Amino acid sequence: MSRWKSFPKLLSGDWLVLAVGLAAVIVLFATLWHPEHAARLQIRDHNGIFATFSLAQDRTIEVPGPLGISHIVIHQGQVRFTQSPCHNQYCVHQGWLSHAGQVAVCLPNQISLELLGDEKNYDSLNY
Amino acid sequence: MQRWLILLLTLLLGSCTREPLYQSQSYVFGTLVDISIYGESEEHARALASHVEQDFQRLHLQLHAWKPGGELYKLNAAFEQGKKMLVSPELADILVDATQLSERSGGLFNPAIGGLINVWGFQRDEFTPVSPDPQQLDALVKAAPRMSDIVVENGEAYSRNPSVKVDLGGYAKGYALDRAAAYLRSEKVHGALINIGGNIIALGAHGEKPWRVGIQHPRKPGPMATLDLPDGWAIGTSGDYQRYFELDGKRYCHLIDPRNGYPVQGMQAVTILVPPGAHAGTLSDVASKPVFIAGADGWRQAASRIGAGDVLVVDGRGHLHMTQAMQQQLKLVDKNVPLEVLP
Amino acid sequence: MKRIMTRSTIEITTTADDHKVARLAALAIGLHLAEAVFPSPLPGVKPGIANIVTLYVLYRFDFATAAWVSLLRVVASSLLLGNFLSPAFVLSLSGTTASLGLLVLAMRLPKSYFGPVSLSVMAAFAHIAGQLLVVRLWLIPHAGVAYLIPVFAAAALFFGAINGMIAAKLLNTSGASSA
Repeated sequence: MSRWKSFPKLLSGDWLVLAVGLAAVIVLFATLWHPEHAARLQIRDHNGIFATFSLAQDRTIEVPGPLGISHIVIHQGQVRFTQSPCHNQYCVHQGWLSHAGQVAVCLPNQISLELLGDEKNYDSLNY
Repeated sequence: MQRWLILLLTLLLGSCTREPLYQSQSYVFGTLVDISIYGESEEHARALASHVEQDFQRLHLQLHAWKPGGELYKLNAAFEQGKKMLVSPELADILVDATQLSERSGGLFNPAIGGLINVWGFQRDEFTPVSPDPQQLDALVKAAPRMSDIVVENGEAYSRNPSVKVDLGGYAKGYALDRAAAYLRSEKVHGALINIGGNIIALGAHGEKPWRVGIQHPRKPGPMATLDLPDGWAIGTSGDYQRYFELDGKRYCHLIDPRNGYPVQGMQAVTILVPPGAHAGTLSDVASKPVFIAGADGWRQAASRIGAGDVLVVDGRGHLHMTQAMQQQLKLVDKNVPLEVLP
Repeated sequence: MKRIMTRSTIEITTTADDHKVARLAALAIGLHLAEAVFPSPLPGVKPGIANIVTLYVLYRFDFATAAWVSLLRVVASSLLLGNFLSPAFVLSLSGTTASLGLLVLAMRLPKSYFGPVSLSVMAAFAHIAGQLLVVRLWLIPHAGVAYLIPVFAAAALFFGAINGMIAAKLLNTSGASSA
């Protein structure tokens, strides 16, 4: 199999095509991997990141916490707590989150939701 | 050739997110703690954050107002019985500092009213609507517990007024921030942002750009404004939207007016910015309380009294009031809100 | 009167080339099926090694033969895999059609400058373009697909280059004149 050790000779046009292809790939990453609106939901629990979901599909997620299971719904690119075993239900009252950077937290059950886009326009939230 | 292609592609995919920023989120101090460290290796950052979190947990237990076992809990019991108790130098300093701040605020910041806070049900993990007996409230107000009733001498503390029950809910987070900041500075950290339950202090910068914080809207999910937090600055907010209950359509928040014993009405949030200093964190926690209690009419005066120059107020109608200094730093998300700017 | 019945068999004479093409078509199907066994980390991202055969046939024979081998591979594979006329089949067909369409143009490029690698990469890009078009217009009309495009493009570049090099190697060593 010694003939396999050498690469085939690449012609000048081949290099051109490869270069153009590479440029195209770079441009595509640069432009399409920074969508404007919130693209993902990041759920954190007391251990850290529980899971990250795309907002592109409707689904219901059950997240266990110390108090029980909190229910989170993704619908039409938005997300919210629908049910939580906490007493005050502040998390549920936060309503629908739709933009990158928005946060809803269920402190008693130690679960937080955060919407990630390409740029959260701040590093931390004061409240 | 293939190898270079593979390497290039992996670099491309990896380079999108690579910057030396370490972030950890944890539940300590009874609330959400967010630590961001810039410019350190992941290992070192993790060790630093862990140290900070452990210190927070220690303080949380030591300074807890109503869970048995901590030093403050024992001290409050001693106060109630009119007894003396040995206190740690740390708690002694805290008591003295809190007393000074209470005086500076004209008594609006009064950590000694733990009794009132308890009667309104806010010394619990979860809040249910309560309807305290007005006479009981009146009695507690008349008993006039004050920080100045506490005497600290020779490493011992006692209270001249048995109704004094210290609740450091409006002080401890800020104090913890100062400790964490001092520790990280001593470790020569390039940049860090520490957030304890919404109270934030900044160290250094986020690489080339300053740390930026968002200010939570009191009624909607998401920020109502953003601003840059330069090295050493701290920000704190008191609001009616995190710890409260509703009864008969009215909201009762955890901030009690010591003058009448009732939760403050007519205010949604107060945000204070504090310039660098050894107590920036503490002040950012403490200063928002008297301004909040002073209400939509008295906020400006209360702010000057406590020495706060950068103030943002959201009143009961959702209208904004702020100082000129604050306006220069703030970037509002919704520019159409009614706004009052005072010098 | 005597009835003369002519024997009604039709003999098709096959040439050696026909045999070769049939074997290559079978090889293409085989490669496609083998590849289908391996799970891919992302939906739709596959090395597409059956395309090596397409390229080989394109150079050794002609475009018409290559097109025939490709389409036969797509249809036969889907029949064998059991997803004939399913979305997966439609995607495979649209990708193949698009890449063949590009090849018919690309093969007119001067062969002294553009070898199998060029054609393979270009065909790979055309393939994913055809597939993404179908996905966007018919299967998942949601903006979420934009997130996948750069990844597919990178795969097209990478695997297109590799397949092209393998094809070039095969063409050189088979002794046939390709340049």
